[in-house]
Amino acid sequence: MKTPKRFRDTLPFWLVLPTVLVLLVVQVYPALYTVWLSLQERVAAGWTYVGLDNFERLLNMGQFSESIGHTIVFLVGHVVLTMVGGFITAYLLSRKIRFTGGFITMLFIPWVLSQIIVGFIFRLLVAPDYGIFSGLLLDPNLFPPAGLSVLTAVPPRPWFGDFPFPPAAAMTLLILASTWRALPFVTLLMLASMQQISTEVVESSRIDGAGSGQVIRFIIVPLILPTLVVAIFNTVLNGVNGVGLVFSLTSGGPGTSTQIISYLLYNVGWTQIRFGRAAALALIIAVINWLLIIGTMRITRSEERQGEA
Amino acid sequence: MNRISALTQRGNTRWLVYAILIIITVTAMMPIALTVLVSLKNHEDVIRTPPLLFPCDTPARSFDIGACRWSLEGYERVLVPKAAPDALLGVELTGPMVTVYAGNTMLYATVSSVLVVILSATSGYALSRYRFRGRKLLQYAIMAVMGVPYLTNLLALYQAGTTLRTLGLPYDDRSFIIIVYVGFFLPMSVWIAKGFFDAIPRDLEEAALIDGCDPINALLRIIVPLTQPGLVAIFMLTFVGVWNEFLAGYLLIARNANKTLMFGFYDFMGQNLINLQGVAAVSIAVAAPVVILFLFFRRSFFAAMVEGAVKG
Repeated sequence: MKTPKRFRDTLPFWLVLPTVLVLLVVQVYPALYTVWLSLQERVAAGWTYVGLDNFERLLNMGQFSESIGHTIVFLVGHVVLTMVGGFITAYLLSRKIRFTGGFITMLFIPWVLSQIIVGFIFRLLVAPDYGIFSGLLLDPNLFPPAGLSVLTAVPPRPWFGDFPFPPAAAMTLLILASTWRALPFVTLLMLASMQQISTEVVESSRIDGAGSGQVIRFIIVPLILPTLVVAIFNTVLNGVNGVGLVFSLTSGGPGTSTQIISYLLYNVGWTQIRFGRAAALALIIAVINWLLIIGTMRITRSEERQGEA
Repeated sequence: MNRISALTQRGNTRWLVYAILIIITVTAMMPIALTVLVSLKNHEDVIRTPPLLFPCDTPARSFDIGACRWSLEGYERVLVPKAAPDALLGVELTGPMVTVYAGNTMLYATVSSVLVVILSATSGYALSRYRFRGRKLLQYAIMAVMGVPYLTNLLALYQAGTTLRTLGLPYDDRSFIIIVYVGFFLPMSVWIAKGFFDAIPRDLEEAALIDGCDPINALLRIIVPLTQPGLVAIFMLTFVGVWNEFLAGYLLIARNANKTLMFGFYDFMGQNLINLQGVAAVSIAVAAPVVILFLFFRRSFFAAMVEGAVKG
């Protein structure tokens, strides 16, 4: 039986309709509602319009600027470690070796674990007194003057004004944990991209006398550049959203030294029950996300152009 | 001469490559291995200071394989087995992890994944095969939506849930959270599906259409079987994603009886921080199903992840 012509012409609309509806309900409506909510304040009878007050109060909150600092430290550490670690692992796996599949499968297991479980696993390693590394960390000879209790150590005195660098021990652990979980995905992306590079290009450059460093710098990196952008993009986004880890690893502590911006959002919204302010913060996070994404694209675009020239 | 030196050099570096890769792999596996070890100790061995790796020491020797005190106490704490003559193995698992949370998560993950597969297949097909009005707009919208952090949406969804409950409308935690999960995992899945459809030559279905097959049948009989690996991958990615998701389930589900496995884990962890063997056991128990799933379907996982990331 032939389907009526009119139905056939409108078929694509029917095919995408359910997806559009779900996205409107779960993604578009919440985004618009957040914009509205960020301009409101809770009063007894419901909500009242307060203009940009929420933003102003948020910016005046000490915790906000502080958590921006923590987020920057976290993101830089997380992205740099993940990209470097991922590149090295992918480069090694892309050499002509056996068992590549076995290696990547084993390496990939951390990615399949829930963030909240990863947080606990890393907490387990350094749990006060009982963690398997606690004995080592509490050794005053290795960590003067009194050993290092990772989850409770007071952050070191910052080098640059209030900027939280060098990071607290707990922040370092948070960065290591999130890197551990993100690494497999980045490795996989880079490996897939490196395997597209024809071996002839690499071989011939070697015959021309290029060393491994030169091959990496002038052949591999430029050829997988688009993938590097995608990888950075994903790592940054997952880093900004990576709140589950904080829940089970540090709960933002000690003090507020691991309160990255996503955890602050949870705190403002659900601990302090200030939804208007939380909405303002959510919008700021969204804008930061977009700026980071656009920035990453810009930088790599200009690199790409230089590479071609 | 030159060639020979090049060959030997390569042989040496290859050995080095293996060595470094093995070190990386062992380091990556170590946190998991240590968690498994902790989960198999009894409480007395967990709280020893200085901590010991294997619970196998005796007063005389630091390691004696015959004296190991392995224990399932941690797992018993989570699963709470009770003797039940009717049950399959003579025991019934009565912990809330098994009786409440595992079933909920299983339901949410399965239903959301099926819905995501259906919706992403239909819209991915439309985006791949038809040039319709609003197509570009939809593609941009999907990309834009992927850039919005899901935390931003949680705030509004939480408020929506609260309002729906107070209005006394027919409202159900479970359908609400399933729709939310579908919405979270759909954008990426649409990209993956579109990528898989793009890879199938159009000639195939055009031939079918010319032979008098209508578009719906062409989709079901020719395209779906060919994209089956892609659809399986989308199912798996969504399933693992929902299984592992914590915050949305924690915040959006009101009734305890409807909460998820990861909430159960978080709750258990909060109450058992002194029983590290128990929390280690629950980590392993909760993670094991998705790790096993991943090991079985790793090829489709890899294919879909590369596809989704590169296209998106």
